[in-house]
Amino acid sequence: MTPAFARPATLPASRLWADAPILTGIALLMALGCLPILSAAAFDTRLFQGDNIWLKPFKFHLALAIYTITLAYFARFMSEATRASRLWRNYLTVAAAAIVAEVVWIGGAAALGTASHFNTSSPLWSGLYALMGVSAVTLTSVSLVMGVSIWRNQSSGLDPALHLSITLGLILTFALTVIVAGTMSSGTGHFVGSPLTDARLPLFGWSREVGDLRAPHFLATHALHAVPLAGLIVTRLAPAQPIRLVWLAASGYAALVLAMFVQALLGLPLI
Amino acid sequence: MSPDQIFQLSNPLALIGWLALILSPLSPIWADRVAALAVPLLLSLAYSGLVLAHWSGAQGGFSSLPDVMLLFTQAPIALAGWLHYLAFDLFVGAWAVRTARAEKIPHLLVIPSLILTFLFGPAGFLAFSILRLIMSQRKTV
Repeated sequence: MTPAFARPATLPASRLWADAPILTGIALLMALGCLPILSAAAFDTRLFQGDNIWLKPFKFHLALAIYTITLAYFARFMSEATRASRLWRNYLTVAAAAIVAEVVWIGGAAALGTASHFNTSSPLWSGLYALMGVSAVTLTSVSLVMGVSIWRNQSSGLDPALHLSITLGLILTFALTVIVAGTMSSGTGHFVGSPLTDARLPLFGWSREVGDLRAPHFLATHALHAVPLAGLIVTRLAPAQPIRLVWLAASGYAALVLAMFVQALLGLPLI
Repeated sequence: MSPDQIFQLSNPLALIGWLALILSPLSPIWADRVAALAVPLLLSLAYSGLVLAHWSGAQGGFSSLPDVMLLFTQAPIALAGWLHYLAFDLFVGAWAVRTARAEKIPHLLVIPSLILTFLFGPAGFLAFSILRLIMSQRKTV
């Protein structure tokens, strides 16, 4: 009984599907999930902390799409055996479930007109918030596991400096995100201080009056882009001591994130 | 039967169809017979009767939103509209299950779309279409 209905269009086949089907599928799911969210944003007049109530779900879908497609790309530098192992696939299935749970929670809270993070208005919402903390660490841990796995893969075929920068970027994404986001989630909100005028940075929406922990969170999580980019530049320029330069770039980036973190904790805006 | 009585019967009837879809891996053929044929046809029969009996005397119409709203203030027409939802949502659900089976999409992944289709018809169709697009990409490699 084959249904004779229209089949969906096929996008260009890509290595991403072969190397990381679960991560690529989740990335596409997060991206396509933006469509109903934007539709809701167009109809919904409710605001959450001064923005359209659907802005936050949209940001999370976008961020998780970028995160997972990046991981799907880096997966090619893991060893074939690890990628094909049942343990890795099961682990990714759990992480995928954590990602879906996270956006269902955030989108569901928006639909209900309430907060997702920092919502302790009832035992149910408090419990969900705690559970979603576990989910968040789970989904972030994929960058650590992948970073270590690539680190140990001697036959990635990568230039040593680039290889190092990818592993450091992935590991830093986990370490810095857990420090910054973990601290943020144990507080009562992303602000340190009480904004009066709602002066904010365009596009990102970070406060320009008080400390806003979302800024260091953003840079912490983007370590997996920034450090490999530095590695790529180092590889192209071919200087005398490329490995040392990559270590320098990674430590410099970590220091920058930690400085922004301290700045936010002191209640100071980014700029 | 009064509109209320038909309404009381139609909901459990549709639920049987949805249950058959959720459990469809046990017996795909019977799930399809129940959810794609028997239940939607019974609902369609009731719908057709209601429309034949009550359409000519109904107020309102399709040409403006107030007209549509007026249409649905009348119990037999509102009931017909409800049966329309039940029948077509289930039919779409049965199509999703059939399509998923033909395209080797795991049933477990389809269940959230089925629940969405049951509760909010088109949202479930959208969810299933997204799932189907993603899974079809996966198989191209």
